[in-house]
Amino acid sequence: MTDVLHQAEAVAAPRVARTGRFTIAPWLYLAPALIILFVWIYLPLIQAGQLSFYQWNMLPTSTPRFVGLDNYRNLLTLPEMGIAVRNTVWYIVGLFPLSVIIPVAVAILTQELSGPLRNLYRSLIFVPMIVAPIVAAILWRWLLNEDYGLVNQVIAGLGFSKVGFLQDPKIALWTLVWMTGWKLIGFSTLLLSAANSTINPAYTEAARMDGASRWQIIRDIRLPLLAPTILLLSMMTILFGAQWSFVYINALTGGGPLQSTTNIFYLMWEYGFQTLSAGWSAAAGMLTFTAFGAIALVCLWLMKRLAVYDD
Amino acid sequence: MLRRTLLKSIVAGGALLSATSFASAQMVDEITEPVTVSFYSYNLASAGLKNETTQEMLNEFMRQNPMIKVEPIAAPSNEILSRVQADIVAGQQPDVAQLVFRDLIYAARDLGAEPLEDFAGDEYAAHTEGMVENGLDLGKVDGKTYGLAYTFSTPVMLYNADLFRKAGLDPDNPPKTWDEVKEAALAIKEKTGKHGFFPGAFGPIDGTFVYQAIVMSNGGKVREGNKLTFADAPAAEAVEMLRDLKDSGAYADIDVASHMDTFAAGDLGMFLFTSAIQDTMLKAADGKWELRVAAMPSFGDKPTAPTNSGSALFVLSKDPVKQRAAWELMKFLTSKYAYTQITSKIGYLPLRLDIVDDPEYLKDWVDAHPLIKPNLKQLENLTANVAFPGPNYRQVENMMKNAAAEAVLGDGDPVEALRAAQERAQPLMPGDS
Amino acid sequence: MTERFTLRTAAIHGIMLILALLAIVPVYWMVITSLKPDNEIFSLSVWPDSPTLENYAYVLTGLPMLRILWNTTIMSAATATAQVLTGLLAAYALTRWRFRGSGLVHTLIGLSWLVPFQVTMIPNYVLASRLGLLDTITGLVVPNAAAAFAVLVLYNAFRGFPKEVIEAARMDGASHWRTLWEVILPNLRAPLASLGVLAFISAWNEYFWPLLLIRHLDNAVVQIGLQMFMTQEGSQWGAMMAAATLATLPILGIYLILHRQVIDSFMKSGIR
Repeated sequence: MTDVLHQAEAVAAPRVARTGRFTIAPWLYLAPALIILFVWIYLPLIQAGQLSFYQWNMLPTSTPRFVGLDNYRNLLTLPEMGIAVRNTVWYIVGLFPLSVIIPVAVAILTQELSGPLRNLYRSLIFVPMIVAPIVAAILWRWLLNEDYGLVNQVIAGLGFSKVGFLQDPKIALWTLVWMTGWKLIGFSTLLLSAANSTINPAYTEAARMDGASRWQIIRDIRLPLLAPTILLLSMMTILFGAQWSFVYINALTGGGPLQSTTNIFYLMWEYGFQTLSAGWSAAAGMLTFTAFGAIALVCLWLMKRLAVYDD
Repeated sequence: MLRRTLLKSIVAGGALLSATSFASAQMVDEITEPVTVSFYSYNLASAGLKNETTQEMLNEFMRQNPMIKVEPIAAPSNEILSRVQADIVAGQQPDVAQLVFRDLIYAARDLGAEPLEDFAGDEYAAHTEGMVENGLDLGKVDGKTYGLAYTFSTPVMLYNADLFRKAGLDPDNPPKTWDEVKEAALAIKEKTGKHGFFPGAFGPIDGTFVYQAIVMSNGGKVREGNKLTFADAPAAEAVEMLRDLKDSGAYADIDVASHMDTFAAGDLGMFLFTSAIQDTMLKAADGKWELRVAAMPSFGDKPTAPTNSGSALFVLSKDPVKQRAAWELMKFLTSKYAYTQITSKIGYLPLRLDIVDDPEYLKDWVDAHPLIKPNLKQLENLTANVAFPGPNYRQVENMMKNAAAEAVLGDGDPVEALRAAQERAQPLMPGDS
Repeated sequence: MTERFTLRTAAIHGIMLILALLAIVPVYWMVITSLKPDNEIFSLSVWPDSPTLENYAYVLTGLPMLRILWNTTIMSAATATAQVLTGLLAAYALTRWRFRGSGLVHTLIGLSWLVPFQVTMIPNYVLASRLGLLDTITGLVVPNAAAAFAVLVLYNAFRGFPKEVIEAARMDGASHWRTLWEVILPNLRAPLASLGVLAFISAWNEYFWPLLLIRHLDNAVVQIGLQMFMTQEGSQWGAMMAAATLATLPILGIYLILHRQVIDSFMKSGIR
């Protein structure tokens, strides 16, 4: 069974030879993306780097005042920082099942169903994505409300006591994780379905003819070939989990109740970006960028090591 | 060579100096050429009556002043300051802006809002005749008026008369003190199973005006000059009172962002919040339950200190011609006509009390809408909302609000929570100069 | 493939049904709330007691809603197209050639994703102002015309493309440009379509940049329009849900058009 996989790897043609001379072609292809990213993202980042050492509100009527590392110190010593970091980890851990595990299961399981039903399920799972994030936040707030929410009515009807989804500090974070994940399931499923459909059916046919069971096919062919996408989604969850939940925190809880739903990104928003002090804001931006940048580099390195490509 | 460059820079500096001093002090006497001014408003960023009424007023202004064109720019109330600031940075100088009171000191000292007494001299005195003295104080910083209160209201106690009746309480006799609130709330909770009382003080989008109103009604203050005092005795006691309400069950245990919805759904007995939501609540209650309004509760015999929420208008223009146009717009928007529109259609309070009894303006409307009366009466005790100074003012306000929320809604010692936050926030206040 | 009714298929259907329900119920709630009058918004009835279209009438007359939907559709389509194109070109460059600096470029592109938008907002606003892009759809599209996400997804797709096909094309004398457009792309329909949908949605949901850039309601996008129904002094939920329902239609449209590409595509047998 595993020789099918070995065959797939062996099919790799010799790589494109590394050119000794400088070729302009790849740079021309890269130019549009690089120019846009430089002008609209990296240039402001460099400015932010400089600004983060000053206290200034950016108005032409005031002069920037050099404060060294004060902005960084103020942000890092915020009392909510400890909780924010811990919560960020919980957000990421909680999102994983919703942004990676369930979508992988859906993509693979529905592959086995016949055409129309498969499309129907996948399309239904996709529906949350068409709803604007702020609307999704409001809808779930209504559905989960203790007094007039459908979910609590059902829970009470089944004989359990009502749950304070958004006001119980022990539960609020998981409620927001659910809301964030609700929209993500469709997103990940779409990407995985696309990747799944590019898996050459010749491999699976060959394996089936070799007598491999369904599970073996999944484990040894589909999963490894889906690995690049799975890794990408995992990396996105780690890097953006906090950011994805931001809209819900901002609209529904403001980091509460009692700081139980705040995370790094929201904290930076509250104290950095909402306060009109360019110094705090720039420092907050630099902090998030370097912290997550470091994590991203680790993830990218892992991806290169672990991904299997059909080449 | 060096002398020449030195000379040039002195001349340039002098010209700059005179230009700036000229621009900030003298507006032209009348408009003789067409001019466009920008008006930043958050009422324009909402759909419905608030938007339409504002547009109507602007159209009426342009009709009466054909040489002046008003360019309306909309942004939601929590983004409007960032918007004004971004535009100043980008070189699109705003002319008139509707900014919320929490940003008062920032607008005066950093954004360059014009101090109206210096800016408009006699015209200012003439224009403000008939305005409530307490109301004018709302826009003052260091004794000078920078903002004219435009759309503002104070906290009122909205209550559900049906729930009162079901709980055996008399809706014609709403609670007047905090002790009575506690009794009534507990009664509602026990007899109807619905929530008793809730203040719109700690939600993610709530301002600090309800919290400040409660604190100041007890004689406390959140800051004295540059010294933070929200953890000191009278302020802390007010918070302890709220904590007691929470611990006893009178204070509803609901999601802080859903307060308006819970009240609208008829599940909350008493709701202390801005009167500006009255209209929305009337529509939600229509045919389902009866809405009533009372003044905010007091601490025993102490007078209440209803604090303003809402916005003031500021003039930000630097060009003399635009300044004149901006001032004309500002006068129009704070005239008797305008306040009549604002109160009757948008739902705020009038800064000019003489229109309330004037049949040409508000009398008929007030007679037909008795729910506004408690709010109008409270204007006698109107106490200015305390804005925070310095470059870190928003951070300080955040810390204070979070601490107060923790003190009331958390499990620890409330005074300790307030004190810890006050200590942490004090270094962020400007040093005494 | 014959589908025998086994416990396994029943289980799969069970799981999918639950997931589908969880996905649909809030959306259903959105639609029925849009049909409820103001005093029924919080009722638990599964269908409004007195359904009304007044919310839709209000939304369509109170705001230039159709215009706003049009603006957003154009903006999102343009942004998605730009992102897919620039991503395509960049991913091709990174996979087709091995050149010095490709690793660094790949990393830099990836890292650009991590720059928080609040860092870029004001400087971009100033630049847009200088370029005369304020209050324009072009101004909404240009700063987002390249996206790291697009590059990374397409990088994966290109890497997964069988090398021998490219070799065959090269031996036929095709230039790298022609190889890209005539050999590779037609076979990448699924990743391209799914990326297109996701990029469209991501642009559709943009809030802060349009909020800053747009000065007149006629040029606004849907997210700004939706927020007009929510204020600190009370919200008009029925109207907001009506606007939200209307706002889902273009996305639904794009999805229906493109999903065929995503769902059913596999390698053309001719290649093997």
